[in-house]
Amino acid sequence: MEKGVRGKMRERAFTVFFMFALTLVFVSAVSALHLATRDTVARKAGMYLKRAVLAAAGLDGGLDDAGVAALYDAAVTPEPDAARPARYAVRDPDTGAPRATVFPRAFPGLWGTIRATVGLGPDGATLTGVAFLEHNETPGLGARVTESWFEGQFAGKRGPFRLVPEGTRSAAVDEIDAVTGASITSRAVRDMLNALAREQTQ
Amino acid sequence: MTSGRIKRIMLGGIGRDNPVFAQVLGICSTLAVTNVLRNTVVMCLGLVFTLALSNLTVSALRRLMPARVRMMAEVLVIACYVIIVDIALKALAPDISRQLGPYVGLIITNCIVMGRAEAFALSNPPLPSLADGVAAGIGYSCVLLVIAFFRELLGSGTVWGARVLGEWWTNWAIMVMAPGAFFMLAVFIWIVKGAIPRAGNAAGKESGKQ
Repeated sequence: MEKGVRGKMRERAFTVFFMFALTLVFVSAVSALHLATRDTVARKAGMYLKRAVLAAAGLDGGLDDAGVAALYDAAVTPEPDAARPARYAVRDPDTGAPRATVFPRAFPGLWGTIRATVGLGPDGATLTGVAFLEHNETPGLGARVTESWFEGQFAGKRGPFRLVPEGTRSAAVDEIDAVTGASITSRAVRDMLNALAREQTQ
Repeated sequence: MTSGRIKRIMLGGIGRDNPVFAQVLGICSTLAVTNVLRNTVVMCLGLVFTLALSNLTVSALRRLMPARVRMMAEVLVIACYVIIVDIALKALAPDISRQLGPYVGLIITNCIVMGRAEAFALSNPPLPSLADGVAAGIGYSCVLLVIAFFRELLGSGTVWGARVLGEWWTNWAIMVMAPGAFFMLAVFIWIVKGAIPRAGNAAGKESGKQ
Protein backbone atom coordinates (compact mmCIF):
# COMPACT_ATOMS: atom_id res chain seq x y z
CA MET A 1 0.00 0.00 0.00
CA GLU A 2 2.73 2.39 1.11
CA LYS A 3 4.73 1.52 -1.95
CA GLY A 4 1.73 1.97 -4.26
CA VAL A 5 1.15 5.51 -3.02
CA ARG A 6 4.78 6.39 -3.46
CA GLY A 7 4.78 4.87 -6.94
CA LYS A 8 1.77 6.96 -7.87
CA MET A 9 3.46 10.10 -6.55
CA ARG A 10 6.51 9.33 -8.59
CA GLU A 11 4.42 8.75 -11.67
CA ARG A 12 2.68 12.10 -11.22
CA ALA A 13 5.95 13.87 -10.64
CA PHE A 14 7.28 12.33 -13.83
CA THR A 15 4.19 13.46 -15.74
CA VAL A 16 4.73 17.05 -14.66
CA PHE A 17 8.44 16.82 -15.30
CA PHE A 18 7.83 15.36 -18.76
CA MET A 19 5.53 18.19 -19.81
CA PHE A 20 7.93 20.81 -18.45
CA ALA A 21 10.89 19.28 -20.22
CA LEU A 22 9.04 18.83 -23.50
CA THR A 23 7.69 22.38 -23.38
CA LEU A 24 11.09 23.78 -22.56
CA VAL A 25 12.79 21.98 -25.45
CA PHE A 26 10.21 22.83 -28.08
CA VAL A 27 9.52 26.39 -27.00
CA SER A 28 13.27 27.10 -26.85
CA ALA A 29 13.71 25.78 -30.36
CA VAL A 30 10.85 27.88 -31.71
CA SER A 31 12.02 30.97 -29.83
CA ALA A 32 15.53 30.59 -31.18
CA LEU A 33 14.17 30.35 -34.71
CA HIS A 34 11.96 33.38 -34.12
CA LEU A 35 14.86 35.47 -32.84
CA ALA A 36 17.06 34.37 -35.72
CA THR A 37 14.52 35.38 -38.35
CA ARG A 38 12.90 38.34 -36.60
CA ASP A 39 14.81 41.04 -38.45
CA THR A 40 14.27 39.44 -41.85
CA VAL A 41 10.56 39.03 -41.19
CA ALA A 42 10.16 42.63 -39.99
CA ARG A 43 12.13 43.96 -42.95
CA LYS A 44 10.03 41.99 -45.44
CA ALA A 45 6.80 43.05 -43.74
CA GLY A 46 7.94 46.68 -43.84
CA MET A 47 8.49 46.42 -47.57
CA TYR A 48 4.74 46.26 -48.17
CA LEU A 49 4.21 49.69 -46.62
CA LYS A 50 7.18 51.16 -48.48
CA ARG A 51 5.94 49.79 -51.79
CA ALA A 52 2.42 51.05 -51.07
CA VAL A 53 3.64 54.56 -50.21
CA LEU A 54 5.73 54.75 -53.37
CA ALA A 55 2.92 53.31 -55.51
CA ALA A 56 0.44 55.85 -54.14
CA ALA A 57 2.87 58.61 -55.08
CA GLY A 58 3.10 57.15 -58.59
CA LEU A 59 6.71 56.08 -58.15
CA ASP A 60 6.54 52.29 -58.37
CA GLY A 61 8.03 50.48 -61.28
CA GLY A 62 9.03 46.85 -60.83
CA LEU A 63 11.87 47.48 -58.39
CA ASP A 64 13.31 44.73 -56.20
CA ASP A 65 13.39 45.04 -52.40
CA ALA A 66 16.73 46.86 -52.31
CA GLY A 67 15.63 49.28 -55.01
CA VAL A 68 12.41 50.07 -53.18
CA ALA A 69 14.27 50.63 -49.90
CA ALA A 70 16.74 53.00 -51.57
CA LEU A 71 14.04 54.94 -53.42
CA TYR A 72 11.95 55.16 -50.25
CA ASP A 73 14.87 56.56 -48.27
CA ALA A 74 15.64 59.09 -51.00
CA ALA A 75 12.09 60.29 -51.67
CA VAL A 76 9.91 59.76 -48.62
CA THR A 77 9.72 61.67 -45.33
CA PRO A 78 7.21 60.41 -42.75
CA GLU A 79 5.40 63.27 -40.99
CA PRO A 80 5.19 64.35 -38.25
CA ASP A 81 7.71 61.67 -37.17
CA ALA A 82 8.80 58.20 -38.29
CA ALA A 83 7.42 56.39 -35.23
CA ARG A 84 3.77 57.34 -35.74
CA PRO A 85 3.45 58.77 -39.23
CA ALA A 86 0.14 60.45 -40.10
CA ARG A 87 1.24 61.09 -43.68
CA TYR A 88 4.27 60.74 -45.92
CA ALA A 89 5.74 63.63 -47.86
CA VAL A 90 7.14 62.34 -51.14
CA ARG A 91 9.62 64.35 -53.19
CA ASP A 92 10.66 63.65 -56.73
CA PRO A 93 13.85 61.58 -56.39
CA ASP A 94 15.57 63.45 -59.28
CA THR A 95 14.54 67.09 -58.86
CA GLY A 96 13.67 67.11 -55.14
CA ALA A 97 10.42 68.96 -55.88
CA PRO A 98 7.37 67.97 -53.82
CA ARG A 99 5.55 65.25 -55.69
CA ALA A 100 2.79 63.95 -53.44
CA THR A 101 1.53 63.58 -49.92
CA VAL A 102 0.58 60.00 -49.14
CA PHE A 103 -2.09 59.29 -46.53
CA PRO A 104 -2.47 55.89 -44.89
CA ARG A 105 -6.17 55.11 -44.66
CA ALA A 106 -8.13 52.39 -42.85
CA PHE A 107 -11.81 52.03 -43.67
CA PRO A 108 -14.53 49.36 -43.45
CA GLY A 109 -15.00 47.11 -46.46
CA LEU A 110 -17.52 44.29 -46.76
CA TRP A 111 -15.89 41.75 -44.42
CA GLY A 112 -13.32 43.77 -42.54
CA THR A 113 -11.03 46.74 -42.47
CA ILE A 114 -9.31 47.72 -45.69
CA ARG A 115 -5.97 49.47 -45.32
CA ALA A 116 -4.78 51.57 -48.22
CA THR A 117 -2.41 54.39 -49.05
CA VAL A 118 -3.72 57.34 -51.03
CA GLY A 119 -1.46 59.90 -52.70
CA LEU A 120 -2.51 63.48 -53.38
CA GLY A 121 -0.52 65.79 -55.63
CA PRO A 122 0.89 69.18 -54.55
CA ASP A 123 -2.47 70.85 -55.28
CA GLY A 124 -3.97 68.76 -52.47
CA ALA A 125 -6.82 67.46 -54.64
CA THR A 126 -5.52 65.47 -57.63
CA LEU A 127 -4.80 61.80 -56.89
CA THR A 128 -1.35 60.46 -57.69
CA GLY A 129 -2.34 56.89 -56.92
CA VAL A 130 -3.94 54.42 -54.55
CA ALA A 131 -2.49 51.17 -53.23
CA PHE A 132 -4.28 48.57 -51.14
CA LEU A 133 -2.23 47.12 -48.33
CA GLU A 134 -4.57 44.80 -46.49
CA HIS A 135 -8.13 43.63 -46.91
CA ASN A 136 -10.46 40.70 -46.24
CA GLU A 137 -12.73 41.18 -49.24
CA THR A 138 -14.31 38.27 -51.10
CA PRO A 139 -11.79 36.46 -53.32
CA GLY A 140 -12.67 36.93 -56.97
CA LEU A 141 -14.98 39.87 -56.24
CA GLY A 142 -14.01 42.60 -53.77
CA ALA A 143 -10.47 41.26 -53.57
CA ARG A 144 -9.98 42.39 -57.16
CA VAL A 145 -9.35 45.93 -55.86
CA THR A 146 -5.69 44.93 -55.67
CA GLU A 147 -5.56 44.16 -59.41
CA SER A 148 -3.54 46.63 -61.39
CA TRP A 149 -6.42 47.87 -63.60
CA PHE A 150 -8.25 48.99 -60.46
CA GLU A 151 -5.33 50.34 -58.44
CA GLY A 152 -3.89 52.00 -61.52
CA GLN A 153 -6.98 53.98 -62.50
CA PHE A 154 -6.69 56.72 -59.88
CA ALA A 155 -3.69 58.76 -61.00
CA GLY A 156 -4.83 62.17 -62.32
CA LYS A 157 -8.39 61.81 -61.04
CA ARG A 158 -9.93 64.31 -58.63
CA GLY A 159 -12.98 64.12 -56.41
CA PRO A 160 -15.76 64.09 -55.62
CA PHE A 161 -15.83 60.75 -57.38
CA ARG A 162 -18.58 58.84 -59.18
CA LEU A 163 -18.59 55.08 -59.71
CA VAL A 164 -19.28 53.80 -63.20
CA PRO A 165 -19.70 50.14 -64.23
CA GLU A 166 -16.45 48.19 -64.56
CA GLY A 167 -14.56 48.97 -67.74
CA THR A 168 -16.64 52.01 -68.75
CA ARG A 169 -14.69 54.84 -67.11
CA SER A 170 -13.99 57.76 -69.43
CA ALA A 171 -11.27 60.38 -69.23
CA ALA A 172 -13.52 62.52 -67.00
CA VAL A 173 -11.58 63.29 -63.82
CA ASP A 174 -14.33 62.21 -61.45
CA GLU A 175 -15.20 58.81 -62.96
CA ILE A 176 -13.81 55.64 -61.43
CA ASP A 177 -14.50 52.04 -62.40
CA ALA A 178 -16.38 49.97 -59.87
CA VAL A 179 -15.64 46.26 -59.45
CA THR A 180 -18.39 44.09 -60.89
CA GLY A 181 -20.03 42.04 -58.15
CA ALA A 182 -18.44 44.10 -55.39
CA SER A 183 -20.68 47.15 -55.02
CA ILE A 184 -20.10 47.48 -51.29
CA THR A 185 -16.33 47.34 -51.64
CA SER A 186 -16.39 49.79 -54.55
CA ARG A 187 -18.58 52.24 -52.65
CA ALA A 188 -16.33 51.93 -49.61
CA VAL A 189 -13.33 52.92 -51.74
CA ARG A 190 -15.22 55.83 -53.31
CA ASP A 191 -16.45 57.10 -49.92
CA MET A 192 -12.98 56.86 -48.42
CA LEU A 193 -11.52 58.89 -51.30
CA ASN A 194 -14.28 61.50 -51.09
CA ALA A 195 -13.84 61.80 -47.33
CA LEU A 196 -10.12 62.38 -47.78
CA ALA A 197 -10.77 65.00 -50.48
CA ARG A 198 -13.22 66.83 -48.18
CA GLU A 199 -10.77 66.72 -45.31
CA GLN A 200 -8.03 68.24 -47.43
CA THR A 201 -10.08 71.09 -48.87
CA GLN A 202 -11.36 72.23 -45.48
CA MET B 1 10.68 -3.14 -40.53
CA THR B 2 10.10 -4.35 -44.02
CA SER B 3 9.93 -2.02 -46.95
CA GLY B 4 6.75 -3.83 -47.95
CA ARG B 5 5.01 -2.54 -44.87
CA ILE B 6 6.17 1.05 -45.49
CA LYS B 7 4.94 0.76 -49.04
CA ARG B 8 1.54 -0.47 -47.88
CA ILE B 9 1.31 2.45 -45.43
CA MET B 10 2.22 4.92 -48.14
CA LEU B 11 -0.33 3.55 -50.61
CA GLY B 12 -3.00 3.38 -47.92
CA GLY B 13 -2.65 7.03 -46.97
CA ILE B 14 -2.87 8.16 -50.55
CA GLY B 15 -5.63 5.83 -51.64
CA ARG B 16 -7.82 3.62 -49.48
CA ASP B 17 -7.30 5.47 -46.19
CA ASN B 18 -6.97 8.91 -47.78
CA PRO B 19 -7.66 11.38 -44.98
CA VAL B 20 -9.86 13.64 -47.05
CA PHE B 21 -12.04 11.42 -49.19
CA ALA B 22 -12.02 8.21 -47.15
CA GLN B 23 -12.11 9.74 -43.68
CA VAL B 24 -13.41 13.22 -44.60
CA LEU B 25 -10.93 14.87 -42.23
CA GLY B 26 -9.30 18.25 -42.49
CA ILE B 27 -11.77 19.65 -44.98
CA CYS B 28 -11.84 23.10 -43.37
CA SER B 29 -8.53 23.94 -44.98
CA THR B 30 -9.67 22.18 -48.15
CA LEU B 31 -12.35 24.84 -48.41
CA ALA B 32 -10.22 27.77 -47.41
CA VAL B 33 -7.02 27.61 -49.42
CA THR B 34 -7.91 25.85 -52.65
CA ASN B 35 -9.02 28.81 -54.74
CA VAL B 36 -5.52 29.34 -56.12
CA LEU B 37 -3.14 26.52 -57.02
CA ARG B 38 0.05 28.19 -55.80
CA ASN B 39 -1.26 28.79 -52.27
CA THR B 40 -2.52 25.24 -52.18
CA VAL B 41 0.91 23.83 -52.99
CA VAL B 42 2.46 25.83 -50.16
CA MET B 43 -0.27 24.75 -47.77
CA CYS B 44 0.25 21.11 -48.77
CA LEU B 45 4.01 21.32 -48.25
CA GLY B 46 3.40 22.82 -44.82
CA LEU B 47 1.00 20.05 -43.92
CA VAL B 48 3.28 17.24 -45.16
CA PHE B 49 6.15 18.72 -43.15
CA THR B 50 4.05 19.04 -40.00
CA LEU B 51 2.44 15.62 -40.33
CA ALA B 52 5.68 13.79 -41.01
CA LEU B 53 7.68 15.41 -38.21
CA SER B 54 4.92 15.40 -35.62
CA ASN B 55 4.27 11.71 -36.31
CA LEU B 56 7.99 11.01 -36.05
CA THR B 57 8.35 12.95 -32.79
CA VAL B 58 5.25 11.54 -31.14
CA SER B 59 6.33 8.05 -32.12
CA ALA B 60 9.83 8.56 -30.75
CA LEU B 61 8.40 9.80 -27.45
CA ARG B 62 5.61 7.25 -27.26
CA ARG B 63 7.18 5.00 -24.60
CA LEU B 64 8.18 7.97 -22.46
CA MET B 65 4.96 9.90 -22.77
CA PRO B 66 2.56 9.51 -19.82
CA ALA B 67 -0.85 8.54 -21.20
CA ARG B 68 -2.77 11.24 -19.39
CA VAL B 69 -0.80 14.13 -20.90
CA ARG B 70 -0.35 12.61 -24.34
CA MET B 71 -2.78 14.99 -26.03
CA MET B 72 -1.14 18.03 -24.46
CA ALA B 73 2.22 16.76 -25.61
CA GLU B 74 0.93 16.06 -29.13
CA VAL B 75 -0.58 19.52 -29.47
CA LEU B 76 2.64 21.09 -28.22
CA VAL B 77 4.73 19.16 -30.74
CA ILE B 78 2.32 19.93 -33.60
CA ALA B 79 2.06 23.61 -32.68
CA CYS B 80 5.84 24.00 -32.66
CA TYR B 81 6.22 22.50 -36.13
CA VAL B 82 3.42 24.67 -37.47
CA ILE B 83 5.01 27.80 -36.02
CA ILE B 84 8.27 26.79 -37.71
CA VAL B 85 6.39 26.56 -41.05
CA ASP B 86 4.76 29.93 -40.39
CA ILE B 87 8.05 31.65 -39.54
CA ALA B 88 9.75 30.11 -42.56
CA LEU B 89 6.99 31.36 -44.85
CA LYS B 90 7.09 34.86 -43.37
CA ALA B 91 10.84 35.04 -43.87
CA LEU B 92 11.09 33.37 -47.27
CA ALA B 93 7.76 33.91 -49.03
CA PRO B 94 5.97 36.84 -47.41
CA ASP B 95 3.53 37.21 -50.32
CA ILE B 96 2.20 33.71 -49.95
CA SER B 97 2.24 34.05 -46.18
CA ARG B 98 -0.01 37.10 -46.46
CA GLN B 99 -2.40 35.35 -48.79
CA LEU B 100 -2.68 32.26 -46.64
CA GLY B 101 -3.26 34.49 -43.64
CA PRO B 102 -4.43 32.52 -40.62
CA TYR B 103 -4.69 29.19 -42.42
CA VAL B 104 -1.08 28.17 -41.87
CA GLY B 105 -1.55 28.61 -38.12
CA LEU B 106 -4.75 26.63 -38.37
CA ILE B 107 -2.79 23.53 -39.44
CA ILE B 108 -2.43 23.07 -35.67
CA THR B 109 -6.12 22.30 -35.43
CA ASN B 110 -6.22 20.24 -38.63
CA CYS B 111 -7.75 16.99 -37.49
CA ILE B 112 -5.53 14.95 -39.82
CA VAL B 113 -2.38 15.82 -37.86
CA MET B 114 -3.75 15.00 -34.43
CA GLY B 115 -5.64 12.05 -35.90
CA ARG B 116 -2.53 10.40 -37.33
CA ALA B 117 -0.58 11.02 -34.11
CA GLU B 118 -3.33 9.39 -32.05
CA ALA B 119 -4.22 6.62 -34.46
CA PHE B 120 -0.82 5.61 -35.73
CA ALA B 121 2.24 7.26 -34.18
CA LEU B 122 1.33 6.40 -30.58
CA SER B 123 1.38 2.68 -31.31
CA ASN B 124 4.02 2.33 -34.03
CA PRO B 125 7.81 2.79 -34.32
CA PRO B 126 9.22 6.06 -35.70
CA LEU B 127 10.00 4.98 -39.26
CA PRO B 128 6.55 3.65 -40.18
CA SER B 129 5.07 6.68 -38.39
CA LEU B 130 7.13 8.99 -40.55
CA ALA B 131 5.93 7.11 -43.62
CA ASP B 132 2.35 7.28 -42.40
CA GLY B 133 2.63 11.04 -41.88
CA VAL B 134 4.10 11.59 -45.33
CA ALA B 135 1.45 9.32 -46.88
CA ALA B 136 -1.46 11.05 -45.18
CA GLY B 137 0.04 14.40 -46.16
CA ILE B 138 0.43 13.38 -49.78
CA GLY B 139 -3.06 11.93 -49.80
CA TYR B 140 -4.41 15.21 -48.51
CA SER B 141 -2.30 17.12 -51.03
CA CYS B 142 -3.57 15.10 -54.00
CA VAL B 143 -7.16 15.93 -53.19
CA LEU B 144 -6.40 19.60 -52.53
CA LEU B 145 -4.38 20.01 -55.70
CA VAL B 146 -7.11 18.50 -57.88
CA ILE B 147 -9.74 20.72 -56.26
CA ALA B 148 -7.52 23.79 -56.49
CA PHE B 149 -6.74 23.11 -60.15
CA PHE B 150 -10.42 23.09 -61.09
CA ARG B 151 -11.38 25.96 -58.80
CA GLU B 152 -8.66 28.21 -60.19
CA LEU B 153 -9.44 27.14 -63.76
CA LEU B 154 -13.19 27.69 -63.49
CA GLY B 155 -13.10 30.57 -61.03
CA SER B 156 -10.31 32.68 -62.52
CA GLY B 157 -9.62 31.08 -65.92
CA THR B 158 -5.99 30.57 -64.92
CA VAL B 159 -3.63 27.78 -63.91
CA TRP B 160 -0.80 28.75 -61.57
CA GLY B 161 -1.63 32.40 -62.30
CA ALA B 162 -1.18 31.99 -66.07
CA ARG B 163 -4.23 32.64 -68.22
CA VAL B 164 -5.29 29.47 -70.07
CA LEU B 165 -8.91 30.20 -70.85
CA GLY B 166 -9.38 33.06 -73.30
CA GLU B 167 -11.36 36.24 -73.02
CA TRP B 168 -14.55 34.36 -73.91
CA TRP B 169 -14.43 32.66 -70.53
CA THR B 170 -16.70 34.10 -67.84
CA ASN B 171 -15.26 33.42 -64.39
CA TRP B 172 -17.45 31.42 -62.07
CA ALA B 173 -17.26 33.61 -59.00
CA ILE B 174 -18.82 30.84 -56.91
CA MET B 175 -15.70 28.71 -57.53
CA VAL B 176 -13.34 31.09 -55.75
CA MET B 177 -15.65 31.34 -52.78
CA ALA B 178 -16.00 28.66 -50.10
CA PRO B 179 -19.21 27.09 -51.51
CA GLY B 180 -17.32 26.28 -54.70
CA ALA B 181 -14.98 24.12 -52.65
CA PHE B 182 -17.92 22.22 -51.17
CA PHE B 183 -19.22 21.44 -54.65
CA MET B 184 -15.80 20.43 -55.96
CA LEU B 185 -15.09 18.24 -52.94
CA ALA B 186 -18.46 16.54 -53.22
CA VAL B 187 -18.03 15.88 -56.94
CA PHE B 188 -14.49 14.63 -56.34
CA ILE B 189 -15.50 12.22 -53.57
CA TRP B 190 -18.39 11.03 -55.71
CA ILE B 191 -16.14 10.30 -58.69
CA VAL B 192 -13.44 8.63 -56.61
CA LYS B 193 -15.87 6.46 -54.65
CA GLY B 194 -17.52 5.45 -57.89
CA ALA B 195 -14.21 4.66 -59.60
CA ILE B 196 -12.82 2.45 -56.81
CA PRO B 197 -15.80 0.31 -55.85
CA ARG B 198 -15.07 -1.08 -52.41
CA ALA B 199 -11.61 -2.32 -53.29
CA GLY B 200 -10.59 -1.47 -49.74
CA ASN B 201 -12.58 -4.24 -48.09
CA ALA B 202 -10.64 -7.03 -49.74
CA ALA B 203 -7.16 -5.70 -48.92
CA GLY B 204 -5.46 -6.31 -45.57
CA LYS B 205 -6.05 -3.65 -42.93
CA GLU B 206 -2.56 -2.43 -42.28
CA SER B 207 -3.15 0.94 -40.70
CA GLY B 208 -6.57 0.06 -39.42
CA LYS B 209 -6.12 1.46 -35.93
CA GLN B 210 -8.29 4.51 -36.42
